[in-house]
Amino acid sequence: MLAKEYYNFKKSLDEKGIMFSFSGFVSDGILFALGESLKQKMTIDATDPNTTKKVFSVFVEQVQNIIRYSAERVEGEIPTKVELGSGTITVGYEGEKFFVVCSNMIDNTDVEQLRSRLEIVRGLDKEGLKAYYREKLKEPPEEQSKGATIGIIEIAKRASEPIEFDFEPIDNNSTFFCLKAYI
Amino acid sequence: MEKIVREATDRTPAVSFDFENGIFSMKGESYPEDASAFFGPLHQALEEFLDSEFDAPIIFDVEFAYFNSSSAKVLMNLFQLLEDAAESKGKKTVINWHYNEDDDTMLEFGEDFSSDMEHAAFNLCILG
Repeated sequence: MLAKEYYNFKKSLDEKGIMFSFSGFVSDGILFALGESLKQKMTIDATDPNTTKKVFSVFVEQVQNIIRYSAERVEGEIPTKVELGSGTITVGYEGEKFFVVCSNMIDNTDVEQLRSRLEIVRGLDKEGLKAYYREKLKEPPEEQSKGATIGIIEIAKRASEPIEFDFEPIDNNSTFFCLKAYI
Repeated sequence: MEKIVREATDRTPAVSFDFENGIFSMKGESYPEDASAFFGPLHQALEEFLDSEFDAPIIFDVEFAYFNSSSAKVLMNLFQLLEDAAESKGKKTVINWHYNEDDDTMLEFGEDFSSDMEHAAFNLCILG
């Protein structure tokens, strides 16, 4: 039973072309280790080096967003400062394109600001993204956001299709947020 | 000022700030856990140096294979210091942006940074 349950779980992921999937509290160490494995796997599979770099870049920005902005988080000094944000990280291959999907809880009060940022970025073409990126590069970091906008632009610049995102209301406090990029 | 030398790690670039000769370099990858913690002291040291009487050309060689968006912001701030020193203090500052010919991403980043440099020289240099 046990093996069957997890075999079915693995099979359902495999059928969706998923190469890596992680759910839980994400540390900076996990970002680094998963990122290394991702690069190694893509290099062994003889993926075009420029594609590997783009996937890696989207992966880093997405995972850092979970670590920094997930509303489901723990922090402590044990004894060095550790910040863990909970979320899911999925990297796969579908219809001849790679994709990176990340998801995490956010506070309901942050939904509208995030949605409008994402909509602005999704509405821009290649030249528009380039101009917006240059503008954000010069700006002092916005308060609170630790620079999320530039990360979203970076994801959209590396993606080969417009970014997809969705919000699922959970309760009075929380919304589940999901962002997908194809490369 | 004492020379700053840092070895490259998997996530941070090799750094050499030779204040005596005005020769600076960064090479490698950059996606540290905390970009401000890594680059903050470098930014401060460069700022202090640019306030000094040093009047020979200042050369800044940069060669990256990858950096994340937080690193891009702090790099921009470093280049801005060189631009400001060239504009307001008349210092001769040169940034050499080294990239591989087939690396479109690094070429584009070089163009992004250079678009804001009016007084500092910003050269796009193909590695070869």
